[in-house]
Amino acid sequence: MERAANEGGRLMAVTTPAQQPEVHLREPNGWRRAKDRIVLFGMWLAFAVLLVPLVFVLITVIARGAHVITWQFLTTGPIPPNTLPASFGGMWPAILGTLEITAFAALLAIPLGVLGAIYVNEYGGKSLLAKLVSFMADVMTGVPSIVMGLFIFTIWVLHFGYSGLAGSLALACLMLPTVIRSSYEMLRLVPNQLREASYALGATKARVTLGVVLPAAIGGIVSGALLAVARAAGETAPLLFTIFAVQSANPNLFSGPNTALPSQIFANATQPFTGAQDRAWGSALTLIVLAFIVMLAARLVTARFTKYSQ
Amino acid sequence: MSVNAQAGPAAPAGPAARLSMRRPLGDRAFQVLALASGLLVLVILVLIAVTMTNQSASWFTTEGWSGVFSTDWDPANNKFGAMAFIYGTVITSVIAIIIAFPVSVSVALLLTEVVPRRWARPIVYVIDLLAVVPSVVWGLWGILVFAPWLESIYSKIASGVAGVPVLDDLFGQPTSGASFFTAGIVLAIMITPIVTSLSREVMATSPQSDKEGAYALGATRWEMIRGAVWPHSQTGVVGAVLLGLGRAMGETIAAALVIGSSPVITSHLFAPGYSMPSVIANQFGEAAGIQRAALIGLGVLLFVITIIVNLSSREVVEWNARRMKGAA
Amino acid sequence: MLFQGRTWVATAGGAAVVALALAACSSSTSSAPAATSPAGAATGGTATGAATGAASGSGTLNGSGSTFQLTFQQAAIEAFKSVNSNMTVNYNGVGSGTGRSNLAAGTVAFAGSDSTIPSSETASFNGKTVLYFPVILGPITMAYNLSGVSNLKLTPTVIAEIFAGKITTWNNPAITGINPGVTLPSTPITVAVRSDSSGTTQNFTLFLQEAAGSAWTLGSSSTIKWPGTARAASGNGGVAQVIKSTPGAIGYVDFTDAKASGLTYASVKNKDGQYVAPSVAGASAAADGATVAPDLTFHAVWGTGADAYPITYQSWDLVFENQPNANDVAMLKSYLGYLLGPGQQLLPELNYAPLPSSIDTQAVAQLAKITS
Repeated sequence: MERAANEGGRLMAVTTPAQQPEVHLREPNGWRRAKDRIVLFGMWLAFAVLLVPLVFVLITVIARGAHVITWQFLTTGPIPPNTLPASFGGMWPAILGTLEITAFAALLAIPLGVLGAIYVNEYGGKSLLAKLVSFMADVMTGVPSIVMGLFIFTIWVLHFGYSGLAGSLALACLMLPTVIRSSYEMLRLVPNQLREASYALGATKARVTLGVVLPAAIGGIVSGALLAVARAAGETAPLLFTIFAVQSANPNLFSGPNTALPSQIFANATQPFTGAQDRAWGSALTLIVLAFIVMLAARLVTARFTKYSQ
Repeated sequence: MSVNAQAGPAAPAGPAARLSMRRPLGDRAFQVLALASGLLVLVILVLIAVTMTNQSASWFTTEGWSGVFSTDWDPANNKFGAMAFIYGTVITSVIAIIIAFPVSVSVALLLTEVVPRRWARPIVYVIDLLAVVPSVVWGLWGILVFAPWLESIYSKIASGVAGVPVLDDLFGQPTSGASFFTAGIVLAIMITPIVTSLSREVMATSPQSDKEGAYALGATRWEMIRGAVWPHSQTGVVGAVLLGLGRAMGETIAAALVIGSSPVITSHLFAPGYSMPSVIANQFGEAAGIQRAALIGLGVLLFVITIIVNLSSREVVEWNARRMKGAA
Repeated sequence: MLFQGRTWVATAGGAAVVALALAACSSSTSSAPAATSPAGAATGGTATGAATGAASGSGTLNGSGSTFQLTFQQAAIEAFKSVNSNMTVNYNGVGSGTGRSNLAAGTVAFAGSDSTIPSSETASFNGKTVLYFPVILGPITMAYNLSGVSNLKLTPTVIAEIFAGKITTWNNPAITGINPGVTLPSTPITVAVRSDSSGTTQNFTLFLQEAAGSAWTLGSSSTIKWPGTARAASGNGGVAQVIKSTPGAIGYVDFTDAKASGLTYASVKNKDGQYVAPSVAGASAAADGATVAPDLTFHAVWGTGADAYPITYQSWDLVFENQPNANDVAMLKSYLGYLLGPGQQLLPELNYAPLPSSIDTQAVAQLAKITS
């Protein structure tokens, strides 16, 4: 706070109103107001800078992929060979694969991640184990997605074969550190008064955590979880060595190879055949729309939930 | 979400329930569950480290330390030196953070301090849209559309700074749009959603009383942010940036498509380069023997670098937080 | 209010769904036949040859490896469905190296590989015998982008010097010398190469090693340290795209992909001194002139024969001689037999070259070696 107090001598240290010393309240002078305006402009500029690539990429995807989207493309299979145009077959096998594999990965990673963050924040305290877990979760965010896939290949696929489940495991490993970190940050920010008040009412620790702390942080936790899921839905490398490739739909997540939209996008986009490229961009558009709908739905549900809990 | 610490007048309390010495089974079970989840992270990480080191052992033993850190990567002549990739990973990640940090924090501040609640939603949806674009699409768009467009811009910048002492070493003429800088920009775009989202959530919990106090003292909005919001949020924001940095260092497919795939160390940011995850992605399919071990070994090195980066950032943040909060 | 929370969410979500549905309904849904290959391989005529033992074997057969084979495998898998409907075949084009390691690890039944098992990998197979079944041949084209020049001729030495970065402009005397009567511009040469490791790179550089001798110093491998001025792209399709969009570019692209991208390619001088353009016939001629070992390994690059296209390469499907059970044997014989039999008819349409009959006969005979 010292810096804020010294700058221009005009803003004193921020204290609560009750302790406020005698000050002259002055109108901010021209320079301070100018700085404020500049910063505001800078913030909106940053947002505009963010918009540019988004619009750019959406235009590209829509321009190249929208004409491919037909009912047949979305709901039928099998996925035709590269040389055939997009009017043959459909991408349903990949859509089904993505939905199942990502959903199961989320089912694995989100509860585990939130529980891990709960451990570190609520139970771990200052213990070495808690610090280690928190630190290692951070380190895990840096593991390349391809290495996650190789890891699952070594410990799972070699023993149990290719399956959608192996892909889910790889994606869950990818999501876990993000969920832990973001949940941890959210739990950390829940004020202690909430917990203390609950304890004073005689609640057990589990009750306090699940019934008071978690709902207080739920908005941020869901946000972080959603972003982790969105990333997982779009990852190619972890699936490369875990789900193999199929042309026809495999609804069984636990046995047999599978396919998913990101794998199809990558494999097809680098092909010179127009049919394959069309399928790639059509899949890209489909994946973006699907993931966005899921995010919207989850935000809607969370908004409802937090409304009631307040 | 500030907490109103004032309670109403206390109602007469009934007899207090006896604090049981043995906690209920459900309570203990939950604690064990939480502990197990935490441990699972450690187990997975240790497993990853062990299997990766195991599979890359032959690279370390064959090349030795001087070989491993040499700048020469030439599989045709059995040379597997990692330096060029380490350099590329560091450079692209630094560029990504330099771009993403101000942009993310700005947008997070916009959402929490500037924009009225009902107008915040469209901005949140923009961030969400950025997040749902698959990494392979960023890579494809990057190499097919973005890089060609950037090439002309790079050219102009390069001509503009030709002759200026330090700048012309950084910004030489591009070969094509694919370069360290392009990869840095694409990575920045990809990590912005998570950094923004997390920062925003952190900033949203700044105590209302501090903010109102600042305004009451006549602060402009920017001064209020610096004085009330930032000190409260900085640890969380740095945590968010670290999360983004981890993702930037580990991003595989998108970086592989736009970085230029040239294992050379050069100061020219507009030149094609290479990074650790990119080379793994590009070369793993055909790799065998020592090359395969070397590629996995790059993963191990990335691991170690991530640990070092995280350790040092945590130290810096903790030191800074102690310095800032010490006065209060 | 227009921007009330839930209304916004519902509107945005609904808009997305409606947009997708509208696009689906309004796009012309042509009367799409079930995804059978139009190559006609599903018709009875070509299936007759498969009658021998093709209907046996049931279950799933997984193979992975060479991306060179991918287009062929996809078409063959599709057509094979009508030959043996009890089998599902899956092929994952992850690269020859990974395919071979998958085979060694036992996660796939056959591996597609553009090269023989290198010595560094033999240990991973634990002494088990691996059978090589050659399945396809294909030319590697020297595709280029020079407006007005459609019949460029190149020799191996010139190609080596271009890709090593020694020849940097199109009107270099080395090139103009072998192209009399063709006006070559002073445009700088942009060399397009692969960013990803590839069997195509390996065989292309093998050709340069054998044909250009001392002019080529970068070695032969699936990964090459190209000169810094080269532009790298992912996949044959990526290289094709670079060539197409860069005037003055030249690169090495699979015949299949070069034709699909509409690229122009050069004629290359072969061992017999003739300039041959890449073609299906030229590739088959190249394999004709190759020396085939008893285990069916051979190199089609820089082969003898007046009509041989010198940059031709091949790909094998590798299987273990010893299979776990009789059904595995049946499945492999069924599918590989198809690839070596009626499947070969699919190749010309896909711009690959079928095996010369001498090699094909030996390969079919080798099928009998697979036992359980």
